[in-house]
Order: sequence, then C-alpha cells, then structure tokens
Amino acid sequence: MSDAESGLPKFAILQLSGCAGCEVSLLNASEWVEKFRLVYMPLVISTHHVPHDVEVLLVSGGVRNNEDVYHLQRAAKNVKKVIAVGTCAISGGVTNLGDRDEVREVFLSQSGRLHLPQMLSKTHPVDAFVDVDLYLPGCPPTPELFMAALQPDQEFKASGIVCGECGRRKLTDMRPKHLTGFQSGEAQPDICLINQGYLCVGTSTRGGCRAICTRAGHPCVGCRGPSNAFIEKESSVWLENIQRVFERMTDIPAGEVNEALRSPQLSMFLFQFSDYAGGMHQPCSKNKVL
Amino acid sequence: MTTLTFPLSRIEGHARVVIEVEAGNVLASQFQAVELRGFRHFVQGTPAEQMPVIVPRICGVCSTAHHVASVKALEDLYGVTPPRLACDIREVLLLGQLIQNQATSLFIFTMPDRANVESVFHMDESEASKKQQLSIAQRALKVRKTGTDLISLAGGQFIHPVKAHIGGVSGGITREAAAPMIKELEEMLPVACQLFDDYWAMSMAMVERIGSWGDDEPTYYLASTQANKPRFNSCELRVMGPEGEERTSFAPSEFDTYLEFHETEYSYAGSTTYQGQIMRANSLARINLAENLGTPRADKYLKRFTSSFGKPAHPIMLFDLCRGIELVYAMERCIEMLSEDLNYMDPKVGYTPRDGIGYGLVEAPRGPLIHRYVVENGLIADAQFIIPTVHNMRAIERALNVAGKRYISPTAINTELENAVGRVVRAFDPCIACATQ
Repeated sequence: MSDAESGLPKFAILQLSGCAGCEVSLLNASEWVEKFRLVYMPLVISTHHVPHDVEVLLVSGGVRNNEDVYHLQRAAKNVKKVIAVGTCAISGGVTNLGDRDEVREVFLSQSGRLHLPQMLSKTHPVDAFVDVDLYLPGCPPTPELFMAALQPDQEFKASGIVCGECGRRKLTDMRPKHLTGFQSGEAQPDICLINQGYLCVGTSTRGGCRAICTRAGHPCVGCRGPSNAFIEKESSVWLENIQRVFERMTDIPAGEVNEALRSPQLSMFLFQFSDYAGGMHQPCSKNKVL
Repeated sequence: MTTLTFPLSRIEGHARVVIEVEAGNVLASQFQAVELRGFRHFVQGTPAEQMPVIVPRICGVCSTAHHVASVKALEDLYGVTPPRLACDIREVLLLGQLIQNQATSLFIFTMPDRANVESVFHMDESEASKKQQLSIAQRALKVRKTGTDLISLAGGQFIHPVKAHIGGVSGGITREAAAPMIKELEEMLPVACQLFDDYWAMSMAMVERIGSWGDDEPTYYLASTQANKPRFNSCELRVMGPEGEERTSFAPSEFDTYLEFHETEYSYAGSTTYQGQIMRANSLARINLAENLGTPRADKYLKRFTSSFGKPAHPIMLFDLCRGIELVYAMERCIEMLSEDLNYMDPKVGYTPRDGIGYGLVEAPRGPLIHRYVVENGLIADAQFIIPTVHNMRAIERALNVAGKRYISPTAINTELENAVGRVVRAFDPCIACATQ
C-alpha cells in the first residue's frame, strides 16, 4: 500500500539525544496503527529523511550536539505541527544535572573527537531552535497521552493534578515529623504518601498520567511538570506551593522539605518548564501544554 | 580510498557504519556511536540513594536492567542481602524487559529484513490474512506489551520502574494482581510462538537467498546466566572459549581483571576485549552457555536450534533466532513464577548507608550489565557503567568486515551491502544510549 493510497494522516518522530523511553511508550499504544501512517521514526523504520507532507512531527530527546540541531531544523521546516515530547525535549531533562562548571569541563574535554558530532555546552530544549506548537510532558508520557496529543479533537479528560487520579486518602491525624527517604519504609496502601512522610509532589503536578507511580507506592517526582495553576509562573511559585502543602499536612521542618525538593531526582523535573526552558523565553502558555 | 557511510535504523539510538575500501579491499569497518549525554560525569555528587530513580533514564529500552543493577550496587556497598521474595520479583521485572526487548528486536527491528520492507508497519499483507487475525505489526505490539505490563506490575512505572528498593522491593505481587497478567501471558504465548515460527521460516528463506548466516568465526562468549534454568537477576559472569569450553567465571567486582576497556577515537562507545580477544555477549552467548532453560516450549526450540546449528553456534544471524527462544522462555517462566505466591513475606529488609565501593550485576537483554559506584560522604564520587553493547563492539566490526569482503570486489560494490550492514548490526541488537550513556 503506497502512502497516497492509505489516506491516513501522516506523522513522524524525530529522536534527538535521549533514552528512547518516549518511543517505547508510543509502541505501547497500538491504537495509532489503524488511524495514522507513521512515515519517519528511525527506531522502527528504515527511512532517513522526514518527508515533506507530514502533519505532525513529534520530537523527543534534547539538543545535545550540532547534529541534533541540524536534524531538528531540517525536519521542522517541512511539517505543519511540532510537538515536543518528554522532559528532555522540553527542558533538556536528566542531563541538566550536569549543567555546572566542573561537570561541563570534564564532559567537553572528553567529547571533542575528530569524527564525531560536536557537543554543545549543555542540552538545550527543542524550542530553543524551532517553534513548538504543543508540549507533551512526562518521563515518558503514557501511551494514552500520546494518543491524546495525536488526536487533539478527541476529548481527553485528565484531572488537573496527579492527586486527583491517585485515590489515596488524605488523613488529618497522621502528621509525620520528618521525611521518609525514597528508599525507606514500605508505603501503606490507600493512605496519602505525604501522610506517610514521602516527598510526593503530586498535589500540584499535572495530571493525565493516571498516577501510575503513586498508586504503585512511589512518591510523584513531578515528571509531568506543574499543573495549569502554576505553569505560567516561575518554578519558585510551584515550589512554594509544595512547601505550603507540607506545612499544612505535616510537621516536617520547612528546611528539610526545601532541601529535598532541590535534590537531583526531583530537580530534574521540577525546573523543567520555567527555568531551563525559560531564560530568554516566556513561561509556557497553558494552552500549549497537554 | 573510498569511504562508504551507512546511516543506521531499526536499532536503539544514533550510530552509523563507515567502511573504508581501497582497490576492492576492505581496510577497516567502524561502528560509530555518535551520541553522548555524560551520565558518568553528571551523576557525580548525587546522593547515592537517588541513583535507582536517575539511572533508568540512561535508556528507556533497558531501564529495568539499570534500575535493578543500581539497587544491587548499593546493596553490595551497604552490605545488605535482599529477601528471596524480592529477588523473585526482580526476576519477573527483568523477564518482562526481556520479553519487551526480544519481541521488539525480532518483529519490529529485524522481521522487515526478512520481508524486504522498510518497516513492519508498512508490511503488505493480503486482505485474507488480515481478516483472519490482526496484522503482524499489531500482533508484535501485543506480544511486546505483555513485557511492558509485567514491568508495570513488578516495577510500578511502565518505562522507568520504581519498585526495586535498596534491601528489596517496595511490595509483593498479590494473587489478584497476578491473575489477569497470567491470563494475558497465556493468551499471547501461542501468538508469540506463531510469530517466531514464521520468523524462523523467513530467516531460513532469507539465508537461502543471500547464501550466508554472516560472520561464523569461533569467538569468546560472555554471559551471567547459569547453564540450567537461567536467572537474569544474576550474580557471576561466565566465559566460554571458541571451542565451547567454559573458560572461567568471575564476580562483577573482578571485571577489570578480565575485561579491558579501550577508548575509540571514532565512537563515543569505546570497546571491550576479553584478555585482548574479541568476544560476544547477548542472546547467542547465553544460549551457547545454556544446557537447558527449564520450560517446555523453550526447551523444545533450544533442542531444535542445537540440532540444526550445533553447540557452540557461531554465525551472527543466529543471535536473532536465540532471541525468539528467549522470548518464549521468558513468557513461560513468568507464567510459572506468577502462579506461585509472590506476596508471602515482607519483601524488604532495612539498611544503614555507608561509604565504600559497590558492584551491581544483572543479565540485561544485551548481556551482563554492571554498575560500579564509589560513594563518599553519602554522595556518588565515581560511577562506572559496564555496558554489554560495548563488549560486542569488536565483534560487530569484524562481522562488518566479513560482510564488506563479501559484497565489495575490485570492480564493483554490490548494492546488497547496505542491507547486509543493517542485518549485521541488528543481529547484535546494539543499544547506543546505553553504550555511550
């Protein structure tokens, strides 16, 4: 069956420097096979250029080297709509943990090799180089979210926050005095993880993921980014809100919460919109984030 | 000199092959891994206990292996032994990843080579076969999804799992949760076998057409699964010599006595040798090192494989058939494991953090994966990721040389070379995100 005969809307996926987790998530949704024609995705198709008549280009991964820049700019030129998928495409993601002088120096000294792409000094978000029409946050976004992004006219109902999808009960008489480490204890079922001392940020993290982590007993690390209430503001507003939740629900000292929020496993997600993607950019409009 | 450059697809990550030719002779074949993110550098200073959440992001295909290897490295460092139940649940997690990976490699990455198409999503299937059952692409996606569902069940999150904790796992698997998973596996096992039978037949037809199974020179093999009833939540590495003799076994902490890492100017991945020799890891290594797998259908396939190709078997495109045997094994084994009680005790013991050096080993789909952490003041001072794809680098390049010689003559370069390069690389199922981190 030729492209023209199929008559299905065409979409493409450009993978920059990332882990391929976003692509794997898309492969977990099989619904698109009948509804769309995937025309470019090197992970699963042997085609080396994004065709000219593509409706939607999904971009995953961050811009880490000069080949990433080239591939991104060339691909985006041909398409009607660009969707930045996943934390790396939106902010640079996990590699931003290396966005400090001592790491940058070691990294760049190792990476300047003759026949290989030249590394940039940091991983840039996709919107630093091309206009993005829609942001699809998540590490990775769930298959359901991918389908919602590909079919914008279909009604997709997500709660405003992860809490709304979690189903654990909040108790007023269970007030921990210290944080429970991420690796410690065993979460009791059905009771809010904050009541159990876990640093869960699901109270203000964007919903839509069906709370898969918190329902499995792991605190939300905020991979979907801030909810609409905070997305158009600086990340400090989001962080303050999380702190207020902990003041209200626990007796954990504010300093302890504050320090933990800035630790690597959370900071890679908590700063993904306004700070890293920001700089000279405006905060992201909530209408552009799924 | 002629330099031929081949972009690669249907593998994980960004890489290309460069073959240098002079007067019809192949001078060198290079496998160039062209991406780099720098995990080794940027995790320095990270609180050690956060590694199990950060390192799965090395690779969304192999995330489960990194998650478990990380937890095991920290357990080694803190001197903790997880309860048996936790080891079993981690095994389910790793088998889930094996199912997902082998199904992807077989039916999405390499089936198109056998059908002569660019992608399984563009395969031309007759209306009659489509009406009978779902298309090959949809069946392939359903089989691989059983792996993802196992990862969700045992690991919490579906790509970057969260349930392996230092000292165990954060929860058991109840009978109620196991039941629908067993049902799904039982439904999909015959589908997987049917797809694999088709794949086997298509492979035989392809080899008939091209006249070769690829580089078949005897080589060293490296795996961390045992000879009988393999466990992917493994504890020691084993080496087989080119004649099939078991040479040695060693603990993950001894890896640098046996494995030598070499930087490469043209690739961010580098390469490893076993005492200076080319070696191979991944499915063919495990199958060569196996006596039996311990599940009925998989053992039947193993017997058929051994009687067809001998033991040890060396041609590279047998890696692909071995993946099918392992796919069947992993599905059968998960049905067995989930049918037992996986919620019978506290799946976790306590621990006290301390500084030191720790090693964590698992058998990832691509071979033995080791994480080595040096922790000072509770923070990562150094992290090393010893990646199975890197162990295969020299073997990939040798196989590319063999293919190059086959299709390049002083008078012409056969256009089949491009397909051959793809087949060679995909036989090893390299993971570039892992190899370069």
